[in-house]
Amino acid sequence: MNARLNQPIRVGVLFSETGVTSVIERSERLGTMLAVEEINEAGGINGREFQVISYDPQSRPTRYAALAKHLLLEDRVEVILGCYMSSTRKAVIPVVERWGGLLLYPTLYEGFEYSRNVIYTGAAPNQNSVQLAEFMLREFGSRVFMVGSDYVYPYESNRVMSDLISELGGEKVAEVYLPLDASWESYITVARKIKASAPDFIFSTVVGSGTALLHRAFAQVKLDPAAMPIASLTTCEAEIQEMGADIAEGHITSAPYFQSVDSETNRRCVSNFRKRFGPDEVTNMCWEAAYFQTHLLADAMRKAGGDNVADLLRILPGSEFAAPQGQVKIDEINHHTYLRPRIGRANAAGQFDILKEAERWVRPDPYLVSHTLQDWSSNVQLQAR
Amino acid sequence: MRELRSLRVVVFHPDDLDGQELLGQMQRIGCQVKAFWPPLKRLPEETDLIFLAIQPEVLSMDLPWLTRDGIPPVVPVVNYENPVIIEAVLKLNAFAVIASPVKSFGLLTSIVVAVNQAEKARTRERYIARLEQRIAGMRRITKAKAILMKTRGVSEEDAYKIIRDQAMSKRVTAEEIADAVINANEILGIDVKT
Repeated sequence: MNARLNQPIRVGVLFSETGVTSVIERSERLGTMLAVEEINEAGGINGREFQVISYDPQSRPTRYAALAKHLLLEDRVEVILGCYMSSTRKAVIPVVERWGGLLLYPTLYEGFEYSRNVIYTGAAPNQNSVQLAEFMLREFGSRVFMVGSDYVYPYESNRVMSDLISELGGEKVAEVYLPLDASWESYITVARKIKASAPDFIFSTVVGSGTALLHRAFAQVKLDPAAMPIASLTTCEAEIQEMGADIAEGHITSAPYFQSVDSETNRRCVSNFRKRFGPDEVTNMCWEAAYFQTHLLADAMRKAGGDNVADLLRILPGSEFAAPQGQVKIDEINHHTYLRPRIGRANAAGQFDILKEAERWVRPDPYLVSHTLQDWSSNVQLQAR
Repeated sequence: MRELRSLRVVVFHPDDLDGQELLGQMQRIGCQVKAFWPPLKRLPEETDLIFLAIQPEVLSMDLPWLTRDGIPPVVPVVNYENPVIIEAVLKLNAFAVIASPVKSFGLLTSIVVAVNQAEKARTRERYIARLEQRIAGMRRITKAKAILMKTRGVSEEDAYKIIRDQAMSKRVTAEEIADAVINANEILGIDVKT
């Protein structure tokens, strides 16, 4: 018994190091690893070392499912931190449900899901889409061109955005989907279409390596972000670093966290991160969720005295953490997280100027079918900065 | 229920945990089952029941058989619950829905309910079609009666008797006689307000 008490506690980590979404998933892995180092420096889990077993699922859903099964059955971990695209989360959920594991998922997604075996720490649509629509329609106008990757998150995000736009009497100029591995030429074609239809702004749900291609194509056909920006829920510091700050500048992103969040906790985390992982590393919304969810897990494990999933599921819902974005809390009922919506505009340094932020956290509402712009203004007081 | 073993089931589902569970349970139940992914453009001959994974990529697929009349019951297997996916499920007129992760328990009830309800729906449709035909026939008989009442100066009851007697002696339906009366009237060009 004593021997076991001194053994490390191990958790599984599934973030892709290769494939279409490897840039952002690498960032999620590093956010996780920073938290792991901090947890161990603070004495681990009641003296036991907190270790991770990390595999590369290569951005492929079937690999996620196979590796999740391997982690639970062969490596004997109870908890998995990971997943970016919805298709990969959907592949892991049956595995954790069948073998009683727990998945912590640090990525924004399209909502309409709850699993008792999952904790969701990224934004639900009522914590980013509504805010983005409100901001864009007011600042830029109501004619919108939608472009997205061809999978479920863009379909659903566009449905929400279309509702909000029609509520304001706006107009959807076009709704275009590209395969996740679409070529440069197809992005140029889309950019030309955008130029020809002259919308007020572009709503992009392109993810992964396509993000850089879209922005580059946008610049190539000489569109001006100051007049007609690309609005996104996913384009963050990691993608900007990949594509170059010059072509990202002026575009708009809605997220609960940017590296530029001006708080003591965030400054400490970012400097700690750069000290350990290199002075050129940037943080972003997914990095932050990966970071704070690992701390939330460690706190829960300390209280539970281990990694028993039934115990963790009693403790995690309702638990809070002082995250870089501000205080966050896991909802007791829906397992999603109270987060702080913000609107940022990419600047010349590859960072975001925060144009707006919610005064308080916003309760996650993943099953909200019909969003209205009043949701945002009634729940949250906006503050221009 | 007794026909379960002769039920010819087509499963359109990827070969993953859910697909294997679905296929395995169909085999345990003893249905004759075939599995394909991606879904076929043409249905195999003699299909009684279809399981169709409603995955995002299916939404953009062209499956001509889905919109044809009289297709076998389709049971959607869903792993997303977003309104866009639910919308797609609604279009299938499904009588049962299987949720991912697929469990063996409940599948038997689902297939029995789906096959049974689809059969009932078909019967109902046939019955409605017959009723519609009958109503149209009655409308024609009414019109023919009015023609006879006007041209022959008979009562409604006698007009009906003429039509019925003609039908019986010529061994055709009253509706056919009514049609003949209406046609004759149109050819003779007599304007009869019904």
